[in-house]
This record gives sequence, structure tokens and C-alpha cells, in this order.
Amino acid sequence: MEPVASLYELKDLSKSYTRGKESIAIFEHLTMSIPQGDFIAIMGPSGSGKTTLLNLLGGIDRPSSGAVECEGVRVDKLSEGKLAKWRSENVGFIFQFYNLMPTLTAAQNVELPLLLTKLSGKQRKERVKTALDIVGLADRAGHRPRQLSGGQQQRVAIARAIVADPKVLLCDEPTGDLDRASADEILETLQLLNKDLGKTIVMVTHDPSAAKYAQRELHLDKGRFVEKELNPEPAQ
Amino acid sequence: MNDLTLIRKNLFRKKLRAILLTLSILIAFLIFGVLGAFHTVWTSGSEVAADNRLVTVNKINFTVSMPYAYWGRVQAVEGVEAAGHASWFGGYYQDPTQQVQTFAISPEAYLATYPELVFPEGQREAFIENRTCLAVGTDLASFFGWEAGDRIPLLSNIWQKTDGTSSWEFDICAIFDGREENMPANYAMFHYDYYNEALAFNQDQIGWIVTTTTDPSLNDQVAREIDAMFANSPAETETSTEAAFNEAFVNQFGNIALILLFVVGSAFTTILIIVGFTMVTAINERTGEIAVMKTLGFPAPRIFRMVLSESVLLSVIGGLLGLGLATLMINAIATVAAAFLPGLAMPLDVFVAGVIIAVILGLVTGLVPAINAQRVRIVTALGKQ
Amino acid sequence: MFKQIGAVTMMNLRSIPQRAGLSIATIISIALVTGVLLGFLAMSNGFRATLQGTGSESVAVMLRGGSQAELNSGLSSDDVRLIEDAAPGIARDAGGRPLVSGELYVIVDGIKRSSQTEANLPLRGVGERALDVREGFRIVEGRMFEPGTNELVVGAAVLREFQGFDLGETIRLGTNEWVVVGIFSTGGSVFESEIWADLAVIQNLYNRGTGVQSIRARLTSPGALEDLQAWEEDEPRLNLDIENETEFFADQAGGTAVLIEYIGWPLAIIMAIGALAGAWNTMYSSVDTRMREIATLRAIGFSGFAASVGTMVESLVLAAIGGLVGAVAVYLLFNGVSASTLGSGFTQVVFSFAVTGGSIVAGMVMAVVIGFFGGLVPAIRSAYVPLLTVHRSE
Repeated sequence: MEPVASLYELKDLSKSYTRGKESIAIFEHLTMSIPQGDFIAIMGPSGSGKTTLLNLLGGIDRPSSGAVECEGVRVDKLSEGKLAKWRSENVGFIFQFYNLMPTLTAAQNVELPLLLTKLSGKQRKERVKTALDIVGLADRAGHRPRQLSGGQQQRVAIARAIVADPKVLLCDEPTGDLDRASADEILETLQLLNKDLGKTIVMVTHDPSAAKYAQRELHLDKGRFVEKELNPEPAQ
Repeated sequence: MNDLTLIRKNLFRKKLRAILLTLSILIAFLIFGVLGAFHTVWTSGSEVAADNRLVTVNKINFTVSMPYAYWGRVQAVEGVEAAGHASWFGGYYQDPTQQVQTFAISPEAYLATYPELVFPEGQREAFIENRTCLAVGTDLASFFGWEAGDRIPLLSNIWQKTDGTSSWEFDICAIFDGREENMPANYAMFHYDYYNEALAFNQDQIGWIVTTTTDPSLNDQVAREIDAMFANSPAETETSTEAAFNEAFVNQFGNIALILLFVVGSAFTTILIIVGFTMVTAINERTGEIAVMKTLGFPAPRIFRMVLSESVLLSVIGGLLGLGLATLMINAIATVAAAFLPGLAMPLDVFVAGVIIAVILGLVTGLVPAINAQRVRIVTALGKQ
Repeated sequence: MFKQIGAVTMMNLRSIPQRAGLSIATIISIALVTGVLLGFLAMSNGFRATLQGTGSESVAVMLRGGSQAELNSGLSSDDVRLIEDAAPGIARDAGGRPLVSGELYVIVDGIKRSSQTEANLPLRGVGERALDVREGFRIVEGRMFEPGTNELVVGAAVLREFQGFDLGETIRLGTNEWVVVGIFSTGGSVFESEIWADLAVIQNLYNRGTGVQSIRARLTSPGALEDLQAWEEDEPRLNLDIENETEFFADQAGGTAVLIEYIGWPLAIIMAIGALAGAWNTMYSSVDTRMREIATLRAIGFSGFAASVGTMVESLVLAAIGGLVGAVAVYLLFNGVSASTLGSGFTQVVFSFAVTGGSIVAGMVMAVVIGFFGGLVPAIRSAYVPLLTVHRSE
């Protein structure tokens, strides 16, 4: 096994929030690294800090102390403007409730992140088509989110997440709102993106059967990883 | 797709709301446009006034006459290029309700002070030579259907002839127009001599004297000299520029500008409040979407601009529709009321001012929502869902 | 049923503060529309009231035939004498002398306080009979002018709107200097917008010989006007237009007052459409934010009708508040405010804005109409809030 380059280095990471006068720690002194091409499922009870961790990785929240480093870039130190640019180039987000723009068609939703690039209209169109092809929704390009099923909407969201070719996909309960069959489709797509396109994926989930699709599972509890396990044979 | 697509889609996401807002903005700009056009035509007296033209009236009041001899003396003042006199005839046609603005003038001299009046070939000379000629403005002529060659009687509600009647017979021999669109041509003129010789009373008196100076810079000096000439006489005079005279007359009706300001101000305050609050509500409803956009990497300034553009777009659409409708309305009124409101048209500066106000309105109503949008915190906003 | 409507309506009204912004926007927009309408009506009513308050049915006004206004008219002293001696229907004083007043009407310049510009003021030359043909004339300050002098008395309204007419001041009108010796009131009528001086002095200064411009005569009764008119018809030496004073001023009031209303109403109606759009928008948002609440109510058995009544009442309440705010504001800001404009006599008529009960009713009706139409579609919509079953309660 070749040594794999590390994508993320989290060093001594702490995050707390204040409720009234009280300061509540979500996690403290967390240190971990995420290699490139990894597919991690982070599990844990509500309030264990899963989503917060994901937010820190995605640069939409800042740690109270410690460092989030991605390919040598101190993400936690970037200014708001630079952070936005960094997100657009490096991170694709997939949310539990898809978070598509209701006024835009599927294709337009997918195109949205490309507005932040210098690509021409034609290039953007091609990229959108490719992304929709990958998630198998090329025939629904002109539909509005409301005209799509939950699973289809989530696949549009995946297409949106990968269209700008980011290094990492951050998924927050991507199957939490879906039935089993749709959930499996989504997870298979993620697996495919991980295996064939080499995307690093960090997925937060409650669902043990969803976690099985990942290469490894991390269990977060009260701000600590209590268990690390490798999935020797990820689900198919 | 580009930012404009997003802005447009957001604006029309709730169609009814967008239509209602556009309608209320449209109404405000309709009012602005129509009143602006009326105000312009109302005050056009001071705009079409020539900068070297003076008006000399009796100091008591401009309705009080002065001796005919004054005219000759004013002509001799240094710096005077031309001087004509005029008297109010108080004319009407057939029935007292059909008023006709008519002046008895010194034909050649008076026309010399109004070079902007244009006559068809030969009619200017015809008017000057023909003692019984009535020169009629085109707006007035078309209102009554008069043509050159017609013979008409005009009655006066002021003057009487020695024969006890108040009716003068005229031959229409000239139809004149202003050189420019906004110059009124809704009045008629005739020879002072033809009227004066028949007067039963107030003979050899004139209403006012119109003077042009050789240079506008001489206005003050000429005015002072004219008034000094008649100081301490039974009929003292007051000479002012045509613009000042017209403005003072318009002011007699009261502070129309202030009233218009109240009305237009109310209309704009209304939409400012309605659109402002609605935009705030609309952006609040979209907090989640804005958070997603930010997550995708849309920088805060760009989101700020997009929200601001949205309200500017709304305001400009409503504004242009309102100003367009106002233009149509004004054109319709202008064709009906040419004789009463000559030169009524949508002035370019009112239109331009409207567009500028629309943009400002858009910026003002969009500012708070745009700041709110820019400030949306991703984690909080997404957490709310 | 009524219980339901009451309950839903109360819930609606209690939730208004949650939509404070848009609700206030609606109230203000309707208040402004009402305000504009009432402002114009107050102007028109005030102007009309001044002119209509002026006339007396038992005073005849005589002008030269066809002259239409005092300014244009011209009559000789022979005309005056003929009327004094021979005209029927004219009242006489204790000494048997006819109450006939020949008057001159000259326009002079005054300086308006508000704009500091010159404006036309009527300088009326009157004889001793002038007071016999006018109601309610009294000197409120100073005294009456002495005949044959350069003294004059000034109407209270002139003093209010024009500068330089304070008691004791010397005024130059043209070449002549005058001294203000008294301020008079005629109970708010149009004569208060005039300056009075001795007839003979003005005839002399303005080269009018013995001529006058109008003749006023007190009639023995309002009905005597017809006798007077018939007599004049048959009198070849006279060519007069005779009206009673009420009609004379009503004719003058007509033009300007109607014009103001003709501008005010269309403006208010157009603005009302804008406010209607605003109210509709507010109620639309109101139903939007209460979707779930309405659906819940309906699910537990409230009728769609009750839901729509609730929405409609909210709209009407907002509109009524708006109308009331507008009316109160106009009343406080404008009622009694003095203004002047060029009347049809070609002189300034000073009048006071009058916010009348009738115009407040008109304003409130307009506000409520805006509220009704603004709330109509949202109210219907709230009756059809998506629910699988619509429960109709009887």
C-alpha cells in the first residue's frame, strides 16, 4: 500500500459556543488527518459535534482554537472573502434537505457554482451536462426542484457539489430525508465518485447502513472519537 | 445563466407580490410624470422667456394701463433694441364662455420683440399691413376651426366702442406658431390703432410695453432707466424681465410647486414604505437560500449587490412603466387640450429625473435587505432549517 | 358560527404585531392617500366656503352688460342716479334714501407673505352706503377712513396674507401714499381680502371721473330682484347684468373650487390604486405567514368562511386605522390654515382650509374601500388554504 498524501490536517481543534453566560464545549483538542481519496462516515449521537466538524472542514464555521489545514492552507485563518473563494474551488456541499434554489431548474441549480468561475457559457453548459450525466439526471435538466422526487433532488444537489470539480465532498446526513431505495442510490453515487473520480468524501450520518458505504467509520461522542473502524468490505 | 437570471428569478418568485409592488411603484411614477409635465407647462412662461426681454407695467398693478406716449419714450432709451406695446382685449367669441386671449398690439414693433413667432410666407407682412387683420396662434385656430381668410367678430368684456357695442370685426390673415414646441400659440393679436380709434373710453392708453435689450447684461440698467423716466408721474412703471414677470404671475395662484411636492412626496413615501418593508420580508424568507449560496462560495459583496440589484430592477421596471404610461396620458391630454395647455408634453428632464429617482428608490429600499443578506451567517441560517 | 368568526378574527388581529413592518406600511400608505384627498377637499371647501359665505340674497349686484367681472365693468354716475331715483324693489333707510352703493374696483399690488412676490389685491372705492349693502361689517381695530382723505381700511385676511398693511402703516400704491387707519372683518367673507378707501378719492387718483364699476343695492326682499331685472330690461338708458350677490359669488366660487376637486379626486383615486396594491400585498403576506395556523384551525373544524372573515377584518381594520390617521393628520396640520389664490375676479381671495365632516366621511369610505378590495383576494385565498377536506359548519 502506497502512502497516501494527506488532504486535511486537524490539529488540537476546539470548538465551544456560548449560551447565555455559559460556555459549552462541543469538542476539545481534536486532532486527526484525512488522507486524499478517503471516504469517511462520521457517526454519533445528536449534539456530538458531527455537523460542527463538517462546518469547520468546509470553512463555513471557525474553530475556537486549533488549526484546520487543507493542503497546507490554514482554512481557519482565511478572511471571509478568501474563504468564500476557497470553498468554491475546493469543497462541494451536500445537505440533508438538498437546499436547491426553488426558482431555478435542475440544470441552473447545478450551474450555480460555475458562476463563480471564469468559464464561458458554453463550457458551463458542458460541465453541467456531464455532472447531470454522472448522477443520471440528464433527462430532468429542465425540471424545477418541486417537480422532482427527494432522491432526484439530492442527486441534483450532488451534481451541483461536483460540477466545479472540488477535492472534497462534505455531506451532512445526505440520506436522512430519503427512503431506503433512494438512499442506496445516493450512497452508490457517492461511492462511485470516491472510487472513480477520486473525490474525498466526509459524510455525517445517523444511519449505520449508510455508514457501511464508506471506507471507514468514525464515531464521535462528547467531542471525542471513541472508535475508529475500517470497513474491510464497504457495502455494494 | 448569469447573475441577472438569478436576480430576475428571485424578483418574480412570487408573481403576485412582484406584480403588486410593480403596480404601486408604477402609480407613484405615473403621478410624478403627469404632475411633472403639468408643472413644466405651468412654469414654462419663465422658461420660454427670452433672456433679453423686459416687461414694463404700471407700478400699481399690471391690469392698470399707462399712457400711449410712454411707448415712444421707452423706444428711445439707450440699450433698447426693440419695444412694442400691448393691451388686454378681454375677448370672447360668440359666447362669454368662449374666451379668446387677445391683445391689441403695435404690430411691427411688437413682433420685433418676439422673433420666435413664425408666420407662413407673406403672412407676417400681411398682418402688419392690414389694419383689420387678426393674427391667430395655430392652437387657437385649430380649436375654433379658423383659417386664414375667415372674417370673424370678437367681443370684448371690457371695452366699448363709441357706437355702444363691444364687437370688433376681424379678417384672419395670419396663422402663427412658436418656433419651438413649448412656446404657446393659443392667443390672437390685432392692430392697436384699429381698436383704439373706436374706443368709447380709455383711449390712448396701453396695457404694457415689451422691450428687448441689445444685450442681456444691459437688462438691469435699461429697466432702471425706464422706471426712472416715469418716476413721480401719475403712472409710474415697474420693469422686470419677462421671466420674473411670468413667474410672479404664476405665483399668484399660490404655491403650486409646494402642493405638487406634497402630493408627489406622499406618493413616493407610500411606495418607499411598502416596497421597503416587502423587500425586507422577502429577503428574510430567503435566508436559507442565501446561506446556501454563501456555502457554495458566493462572496458576501456579490450577494449584497445581487439583492440591491433586485430592488433596483423592481423599482426601475415600475418606474419605466409609470413614466411610459404618464407619457401616453400626457400625449392624449395634449391632443385634447392644445388650446388651453399649449406645449403640454412629457419633458425629457422630468423623464430622466424619474429614472434617476427610480434608481435611488431601488437603492434605498434594497439597502437594508441587502445588508441583512450580506450578514447572513451560514451556520445559523442553515441551523434554522 | 359567530363564535368561530370572532375567535379567528381575534387571532388574526392579535398576530398583527408579528407583521408590524408591513402592517405599518399599509396603515401609512392608506393614511397618505386619505391625507392627499382630504387636503384637496379642505382646500376646495375652504375656498367655496369663503365665497359662498359672502353673498346675501337681498343684495343685488349690477355690472355693465357682458362684463362678467367687476374689474371689466364700467358704469356712469348717471346710471347710479337713475337706479337710485327710479329702480323698483330697492330698500330705503329711515330718511327715505335708497340703499344703493356705487363702487370702484382697482387692482393694486401687495406682497404675499408666503412667497414674497407681488399679487393682485382689490382696492375698492366705497361711499357711505357701502356698509348698508353688506352684512356683518365691523372695524376690529382702529377706525373707519375719513371721506376725502388718503386713509384706507384693510380686510383682516389681507393683513394675514400680505405684508405692510399693519395698522398705522403708510403704504405706497403707485404714486400715492395711503395710511392704514383700520382693520375690518366681515365674518370670513371674501370682502376681507379687500382694501377699502373713499370712492371720490380713488375716482380722482385713477382718473375715473365720476364713474363706478359696480352698483350694489339692498332689496326690499329677495323676490324684488325680479322686479329690478324687469325694470332694467325696459329701461333703454341702462345695459346691466343684475344678479343677487349669492349667485354672483357662487358663480365665482364654482370654477376654482371645482377645478381643485377635479384635480384632487383623480389624484386620490390613482394613489388609492397604489395603496390598494400595497394593502393586497400585506394581506397576502399575512395569509402566507398564517398558512399553517389557518390549516390547523380548519383541521379542527373551523370553517373556511371564518378564516376568510378573519383576514378581511384584519384588512379593514388596518385600512380604517390608516384612514383615521390620515384624517386626523390633515385636520391637525391643515384645518384653518390660511392661503390665498387668484380668484375669478382676478384678485387674490384669502381662504382657510376647511376639513369638513363630509370630506372626512369621504376619506374614510375611500380608506375602507381600499381595505376591502385589498383584502378580498387574500380573504378568499385563506378560505381555500390547502386542506384535504373543507369542513363546513352550519
